Amino acid sequence: MEPKSIWVSPNETRRFVDPTSDNRLMEEIKDGRVERLAILFERYHVMLFNFFLRLTGNRSHSEDLVQDVFFRILKYRKTYQGQSKFSVWMYQIARNAHVDHLRKRKQEMSLDDQFEEPASAETPAVERMSAEIDAALLNRALDRLPLRKKEVLLLSRFQEMKYREIAELMGCDIGSIKSTVHRAIKDLGRIYVELQGGESSCTAKD
Amino acid sequence: MYCERLKDLLADYLVGELDEKTLAEAQAHLAGCAACREELESLSAIWTKLGVLPKEQPSAALRSRFYDMLEAYKEGLKRGGIAARPLQSLSSWLSRLVPRRPAYQLALALVLIIAGLGSGYLLNVRSRSNARFEVATLKHEVNDMRRTVAVSLLKQASPSERLMGVSWSVQLDRPGDEIIAALLETLDHDSNVNVRLAAVDALYLFYDHPEVKERLVRSLAGQTSPLVQLSLIDLLVGIRERRAVEALGQLIQDHKINPKVKKRAELGLAQLS
Repeated sequence: MEPKSIWVSPNETRRFVDPTSDNRLMEEIKDGRVERLAILFERYHVMLFNFFLRLTGNRSHSEDLVQDVFFRILKYRKTYQGQSKFSVWMYQIARNAHVDHLRKRKQEMSLDDQFEEPASAETPAVERMSAEIDAALLNRALDRLPLRKKEVLLLSRFQEMKYREIAELMGCDIGSIKSTVHRAIKDLGRIYVELQGGESSCTAKD
Repeated sequence: MYCERLKDLLADYLVGELDEKTLAEAQAHLAGCAACREELESLSAIWTKLGVLPKEQPSAALRSRFYDMLEAYKEGLKRGGIAARPLQSLSSWLSRLVPRRPAYQLALALVLIIAGLGSGYLLNVRSRSNARFEVATLKHEVNDMRRTVAVSLLKQASPSERLMGVSWSVQLDRPGDEIIAALLETLDHDSNVNVRLAAVDALYLFYDHPEVKERLVRSLAGQTSPLVQLSLIDLLVGIRERRAVEALGQLIQDHKINPKVKKRAELGLAQLS
């Protein structure tokens, strides 16, 4: 059982994989051959993990969420319609899972996070590797974007989704997605510059 | 003005989806408009910069958890599915056999009833012992499946699903370490009081399990809801857990404690010592 070696990385595989085969797999899964989900898992789980990691900033939550998405795919497999691309449907599920997760976290927030938060918000300014600092700053800047802008940006920049597909999965028109991308990247640039300037004085309120 | 139009094009420009003609127009405009040029440069710079974010790898546990879940689901489906699917095709097949005219339908129904009663009587005599064996194996398999589903449910986002997870765990004959661990985790960390209360009740059934008593004692100190505290105290006193004495003592010392909880703790302490 070494499926990893076949699917080197999601980026790489996407080029070889015929998009209809996702659909075909889903049709088989709907017909009861649920073990075929393993192929979709190998194809998408790293990508989903990174999507959640950038949304939540927490590895273990992100792994829970990935597991949750695949559980929901099984649970709702009968509702899958072949017309839209599998990844569109999958990210719809992923967004719902994330919303539920946020709701759940919100309740727990008052208990444990008030202790955790300050520690994780500190800048890891120990290493002077510029790429690492850049990444840390960018992550913090991303964190300050409102959820919708952040989602659209992540989907278009990292999850290889076309604007048309993002519009479909978010249930709005393509024009509003494009303008969201524009505004998101503009905001991100502004926040990034702010963070760069006030890295130590840290006006990190909202 | 073209500056406005360029704003609309930006998203497509970033992902390289502008067609040649539009791109040429945009470039022509950019050549003459410093403001647009500056904006475009800064925005594409940050877009490119996002590329420094490394792609992370999840832990190996994710994969094994997924395959466990898939396996359990497959098992569950095999059992639930056998009944459901052929039944559908059977009914469509039957509908073709049934005559259209009501009189014939009635006649057919009568014949079938008589045939059914007769064969039912014959079968009943023969298969009783066989059935008993099958039920036993089935029960065992259902137990296994229930265990996996219960663990999955306990990890769900909605409290009602987690409650269901607790009640599934209670129905298990032999819960296994995984269920116990999940229930203890739920007791300590679930955000919903009702789910935590249900976990206390469920753990009462499994208190013989190693470590459970110890963990229950420890959990008492960490609970914040008076309801959960009360039912934990009742449980610990009910099973005569001596190690609870210290925890109860601490609870009584606590100034912020709910008076009812304090009273119950004092009572429990008296009963234990």
